[in-house]
Amino acid sequence: MAGLNEDAQWIVLMGFLVSFSLFFLAMVLNQSVVVGQTTAEAVSEFPKDDIRGVRGVIIQSVYMDNPDRMGVQNDIRTLSLIRQNSVVSFSNTTNGAYTYIEIHYNNGVTAYNETWRSP
Amino acid sequence: MVNTEGQLYTIEGFAAALIMLMTAYLVVNATSIYTPGDTHISDMQLEVLGSDALAMINTAPNGTSESPLQTIVETNDGAMFGQIFNNIVNNRTNPGQDHIQFMANVSYVKSDNTVSSTTLLNKTRSLSGGEHAVRVSEWVIVEKKFPDSDSLRKRAVLVEVLLWRD
Repeated sequence: MAGLNEDAQWIVLMGFLVSFSLFFLAMVLNQSVVVGQTTAEAVSEFPKDDIRGVRGVIIQSVYMDNPDRMGVQNDIRTLSLIRQNSVVSFSNTTNGAYTYIEIHYNNGVTAYNETWRSP
Repeated sequence: MVNTEGQLYTIEGFAAALIMLMTAYLVVNATSIYTPGDTHISDMQLEVLGSDALAMINTAPNGTSESPLQTIVETNDGAMFGQIFNNIVNNRTNPGQDHIQFMANVSYVKSDNTVSSTTLLNKTRSLSGGEHAVRVSEWVIVEKKFPDSDSLRKRAVLVEVLLWRD
């Protein structure tokens, strides 16, 4: 086209601009299929229920009597490691009227640490 | 030097460059085709549903008695578990049932500190390998002697449910 006919170059240029903007809009539409993917992956990956569960059972175990308590706490550590791929460590202290439990949870992606105080 | 000549040459150059870029983009993109399953949104929903169902079963009717899940694990009552779990996950407001299939295991620690699992409920439908199954688990403290464990004592066990939509 160049060199054959030099007329209407601006019209051709604008035509190109419009077609490219259509192309980019099509790309945006294409990406909209995967909307929510990273959100859902982040939610799936975050072990909310694992943390909640292990936290609940640790707090229950602290109020048990020995030798039950030692057995249950060993179960918690072992089962967390083998079935939930998470390292769980905890200890409790009593200070006055309150019981404090330090809970550490780590599954390699998410680390969670808490000092729980009895109500 | 600067004038308004040669605009069409520029345009043709741009067009050629964009055609090449577009081709490369399409070729690279063709290897990954996204399906709704790849977005993991259905997995996330299933996981939340299963966790909530287990938490409901593990809630005692009043503060002092055992939760239904504790009783189920202590008596190894898989049929009861299947019935309650099915009622929670497969009921719909619309008429008809949902089609979520599941199986359940109980994992416990043996006396030599290794972990063993026993089947609480066999799978309600055979797995073909193409399912997007998710695993949910719930801790329970029970007083129980498992067949190959040491003695009757209080122990923390993990109820694990694998569920998938059929």
